[in-house]
Amino acid sequence: MKLKTIHALMFAASMAVATLATAQAPAGVPAIPATWAQGRSADGMNPSLAPNPPGISALPADEIPVSKLKVPAGFKIELWASGMPNGRSMTEAPSGTVFVGTRFTGNVYAVVTKNGKREVKTIAKGLHRPNGVAFANGSLYVAELSRIIRYDNIEQNLDNPPAPIVVFDALPKDEPHGWKFMTLSPDGQYLYFQIGTPANIVVPPYTHAAIVRLSLKTNILEYVATGVRNSVGMDFQKGTKELWFTNNGRDWAAEDLPNDTLNRLSRPKGMNFGYPFCHQGDFLDPELGKGRSCDEFDKPEMKLGAHVAALGMRFYNGNMFPAEYKGNIFIAEHGSWNKSKKSGYQVVRVVLDAKNKPVKLEPFITGWLEGDTTWGRPVDVQVLKDGSMLVSDDETGSIFRVSYAK
Amino acid sequence: MKSMFKTKAILVVAFFNALLASTVVNAAPPDAITGKAKAQICFACHSENGISISSDIPNLAAQPPLSITYQLIQFRGQQRKGGGMEAITMALSDQDIRDIAAYYAGLPPPPAKSGNADKIAKGQQIAGTQYCNSCHGPQLQGQKHIARLAGQSPEYVTTQLKNIRSGVRIDMDGTMGSAARGLSDEDIEVLATYAASLN
Repeated sequence: MKLKTIHALMFAASMAVATLATAQAPAGVPAIPATWAQGRSADGMNPSLAPNPPGISALPADEIPVSKLKVPAGFKIELWASGMPNGRSMTEAPSGTVFVGTRFTGNVYAVVTKNGKREVKTIAKGLHRPNGVAFANGSLYVAELSRIIRYDNIEQNLDNPPAPIVVFDALPKDEPHGWKFMTLSPDGQYLYFQIGTPANIVVPPYTHAAIVRLSLKTNILEYVATGVRNSVGMDFQKGTKELWFTNNGRDWAAEDLPNDTLNRLSRPKGMNFGYPFCHQGDFLDPELGKGRSCDEFDKPEMKLGAHVAALGMRFYNGNMFPAEYKGNIFIAEHGSWNKSKKSGYQVVRVVLDAKNKPVKLEPFITGWLEGDTTWGRPVDVQVLKDGSMLVSDDETGSIFRVSYAK
Repeated sequence: MKSMFKTKAILVVAFFNALLASTVVNAAPPDAITGKAKAQICFACHSENGISISSDIPNLAAQPPLSITYQLIQFRGQQRKGGGMEAITMALSDQDIRDIAAYYAGLPPPPAKSGNADKIAKGQQIAGTQYCNSCHGPQLQGQKHIARLAGQSPEYVTTQLKNIRSGVRIDMDGTMGSAARGLSDEDIEVLATYAASLN
């Protein structure tokens, strides 16, 4: 049944390709696309499916329409900090300082709370895609596109940050999916981050489409999972200490395929999640999947929707939200571009059952998407020590805070 | 017949999406009249009518407003460098930038520039095979934050494509870097000739 549907879809797609080739493409277009444009569907020349403008400036605080954001009854959402162009991944230092990485502006921000008020300091400028941030042993680690750097004693020097120390710089330099999400392992020994695929859909070099870890003791890089197209969010589960991560599905296949996914590393090494051959655990790539089977690969724990751009994710281990939220996963959906009907642009909640299986997916924060227009894009979630949760938005350059009161 | 309908439907959807894209919420609405006053500092090179005084300086007339905005913000942040633009943009606020962009975006597009017919035909073919049209639009008129290439100075387009290919000019998300990587000098020359021939 499912296979039939997929075949029907693929047939429809190929018919439409033929249609468009005659309707829009200039005469003499050869059938071999450039590497970066491989795998385009019938809509491959549709300019309305081009990428969204990335957020590179920040809205003034009084112009950020926080009142449009909706949370479940009993919860409250407020603007927590603003003025951070392209602010994305977050990490909280033990002191409470929140560090924020960026993808386009090259800045790293520190948000300090003094007497209940937030102060935003730009602690680094001119870095190359410093999207990943992690805090360990008093140092801030930043993942740039092709290297990991470190700012020692940063908390004591927020107004006069030291020059960074280069920790590891032998990473690929590809721009597509080269920005990184980074997190510290529970034992504090390793930095985990991804090396994304260098194109939308391509058989990648073995160095790419993987999750890796860097030992803080030995500076040795190890591959922990492969077949991961691009993960821009990961977190370790309390108790099991297993790494869970989001993965962004390929573009240009179809309006509703394939799904972004939520995944679990049930083995510390050697898992392969299927890219570029199999997507979402059960969708063979129309071209690269020929002669392969999804049974060869490890499966995701949950499908999250096509093109939603599932990025930052965290387990909720705080003590502020109601008991049923304990152990849930929150995921920031940056929102679709390669899709005619917009989806994502929200923070969702995933509930796990007693067997640790995800059983429910529901919206938790909505309101960035109004009809077919948007005013913001959530990137990352961060549970603070007090149990409240931050959400970064790289379109408005701000961070929102969700709290709960009975 | 059925397939023609489908194509039309796609184009209609594309049209409405383009309309909606321009309604994305912005801070204060950009003001072209204020923008003209603020753009005085641009006139010496880019002219009042947005047609630049020299072939190595880009025409700004009828550029999508977000395209100008994004480039100015990147010059100000020194992610993009060249032509002394980093210094010129240093003092501009986000609102200044949006107003200047609104002014130039509202001007009539640059006139088409005639060129060698063979080169133009070759350039048009490459624009299709290299998927230039999938972001820059069917007539390379630009959209969203993506630059208008139609009527652009061919020398400028050539320099920029080579800079993107070599990495001297860093693109935003890797798309242009990937797209330029496979282009030969000759490809770039005919693409630039083709783009200039459009209006």
